[in-house]
Amino acid sequence: MRDYQQRSIQERMQLRFEVEEFLYHEAELLDSRRLDDWLELLTDDIHYWMPIRRTTQAKEVQLEFTKPGGMAFFDDDKELLSLRVQRLAVGRAWAEDPPSRTRHMITNIQVIDAVADEITVHCNFQLYRTRLNSEEDSWIGRREDVLRRTDGELKLARRHVYLEQTVILSQNMSTLF
Amino acid sequence: MPESFIATDRAAVDIAACYDAATGILDRRIFSDEAVYQRELTHIFGRAWNFICHESQIPQRGNFFTSYIGEDEVIAVRDRRRQINVLLNTCPHRGNTVCRAELGSVNSFFCSYHGWNFDLDGTLLAVPGEEAFYRNDLDKKKWGLTPVAKVASYKGFVFATLDPSAPALTDYLGWVGRLGIDMMTIDGEIEFLDGVHKNRIQCNWKIAVDNLYDWYHVKVSHGTALKLGFVTDESMAPNDQMVILGELGHGIGGPGLTREKQAEFDARHAEGDDRQQWYDFNAKRRSDPAVRELLGPIGFRSFGHPNIFPNLWVALTRQLCLRIPKGPFETELWWFNYQPVNLPEEQRRYSKFMQNHTFGPAGLLEQDDGENWSHSTRGARGTRSSTLPVNLSMGLGHDTMSHDPSGQSGIETVVSEHGQRWHYQAWQEWMLAESWQDLLANHSLPPEHEV
Repeated sequence: MRDYQQRSIQERMQLRFEVEEFLYHEAELLDSRRLDDWLELLTDDIHYWMPIRRTTQAKEVQLEFTKPGGMAFFDDDKELLSLRVQRLAVGRAWAEDPPSRTRHMITNIQVIDAVADEITVHCNFQLYRTRLNSEEDSWIGRREDVLRRTDGELKLARRHVYLEQTVILSQNMSTLF
Repeated sequence: MPESFIATDRAAVDIAACYDAATGILDRRIFSDEAVYQRELTHIFGRAWNFICHESQIPQRGNFFTSYIGEDEVIAVRDRRRQINVLLNTCPHRGNTVCRAELGSVNSFFCSYHGWNFDLDGTLLAVPGEEAFYRNDLDKKKWGLTPVAKVASYKGFVFATLDPSAPALTDYLGWVGRLGIDMMTIDGEIEFLDGVHKNRIQCNWKIAVDNLYDWYHVKVSHGTALKLGFVTDESMAPNDQMVILGELGHGIGGPGLTREKQAEFDARHAEGDDRQQWYDFNAKRRSDPAVRELLGPIGFRSFGHPNIFPNLWVALTRQLCLRIPKGPFETELWWFNYQPVNLPEEQRRYSKFMQNHTFGPAGLLEQDDGENWSHSTRGARGTRSSTLPVNLSMGLGHDTMSHDPSGQSGIETVVSEHGQRWHYQAWQEWMLAESWQDLLANHSLPPEHEV
C-alpha cells in the first residue's frame, strides 16, 4: 500500500470516512455506557496513555509532558482498562454511582499516516461530563490514536491523550477519553 | 450540641469549644467557616514547617520548583552556591509573581511587569531606570525577593517555614515525623520522579488529611479495588493496626504487625520462605537489622500512613501527597513520586505501575475518595446540618499506649479513630496558640497510658 499522502483523493476520502465512522461509533459506545462493547474495539496490545502536563517557560516547552514509561494519569494496558470497566459493575464505584453523564465531541480528525494495517489518526476532543444535579467537568485535548485493521475490522491499538489542563480541575477522572 | 434546633444568626466558631478530646466530638463548621480557614492560614500554615520539594527535583544551579505555603506562592531554587532558597514568588515592587512555571531552569528571575531582575538567592540585581527614573534613590539591598524565614532539609526533603521562631526542623518533626520520612529511605537513597499528579477536589483540606488515618473507610470507599483484587484485604484492611502519635500533630496510622506476627514472619523468612505476599514482603523488607535500627522496635512494625503535620501524607506506594488549601471548600492534591536510586528494573516498573494507578484523579482507589470528601464538606454547609457534630469516637478509651525502652510508643489495636482525634486535638492547639512559644509550652503530649 502506498503512503497515505500519495494516495488519490478518493482513496483518502474512503479511508477517512471509515476512520470517522469508527471514532464516532466508539464515542457513542462510551457515552451510552456500553463499555463491554467498547472493550471489544480494543486490540489485546492496546496502550492507553495520558501523560502529566506542566506549565513551563516558553523556552522549556520540551518539559511540558512527562515521558512514556514515567509518571502519567493513565498508563493502561487492556487488563487495566478492563478493570476500569469491571469496576463499574461490581458495585461501590462511588465516583460513578450515580453514573456520570458524558458526551464526547470528536473533531479536527486528521489521518496522519496509513502504513500496512495501521492508521495513525489525530483528533481534538471535548469530553463533557456532568454528575449529580449540578456538577460539571469539561476536558479538552488531543488524541493520537493508532487504529489497526484486524480480520477486516478496525480496532484501537493505541491512544495517547494530551489534555490542555495541567492541574486537573476535577475531583476524579472516572471516565474514559 | 443542641437537642432541638432554632435557626438564628450563625455564631462564630469558638475554637476552644469546637473539639472535645474527651468525647471525639467535633464541630462540623470547621470545614466550612471562612474565619476558621483564614485563621488556619496564619496559625497553622504560617507557622508550620511546610514540605516544599525534594532536593533531587532541583539538582542543578538555576533549577526551580514552585509550590505553596498555605496560599503564599513560593519558589524553591538552587542558587550559585548550590544552596536551596525558598523565596516568596511576589515582586517586592508591585506584588506580581516573578516565576509562572511549575518547574524548570533560570539564570535569574525577571519580573514581567517592570523588569526588576533578581538573582537566584533573591538579591535584586537590576531595575530598569535605576538612574533615569529612580534618580539612584532605590536601595536595591532592601528590595530583593523575600525569603521564607527558614529553610531546612531532612534526608533530602526540603521544608520551609514563614515563622522565624519555629523550632529547628528535626525538633519540629520529632521522632514520629522523622520516622515517617525514615520509612521512605529504608531501601537506600531515593530520587523523585519527573511528574507530580495534581488535581482539585471540592473539599476542605482537613478532610483529605484526616482520611489518611482512616482505615475504616477502606472496605467501603475502595470496595471495588478490593473486589477486583487490585489491592487485597490483607494489605488494605487488616485487623492488626498500629497508631503512633507524635507531638505537634504528627502521626502514623494503619496496618501494624504484632510482635507475634513479626516473629512468625521472621521464622518463616529464616527458613527461606520467600513468598511475596504484602505482609511477607513488608516484613521482609524490614528484617534487615539496619532497617530495624533505623525505624526502631515499634516503628519497624508499622506499615501505616504517616502524616507530617499539617498536610503531608507519606503513602505506602512510594508517594507523598501534599494537600494544599484553596479556600474552605477546595483542596489541591499533589502526588509526588519517588524511587530508591538502586531499585532493580522489575521492581521499578511495578512501583511506577502502582504510583500511576492507585492514587491521583484516575487512580483505582482515589477516584472514589473525592466523592466522599466533597460531600462530607458539603455536609458542613447547611443551616441545620452544620450544627450537627462529626463523630470521631471510635475506640476512644479502649486502648493502651505501649512503650518500648527505646522511647518509642504506639497503640496496638484494631481499626480506630485515634489518629483523627490526635489530628484535631493538635489542630485545635495550633489554632488557639498565640505564638510558637505558646504552642511549644502548651501543646499536648501523646497519652501515656489509656487512650
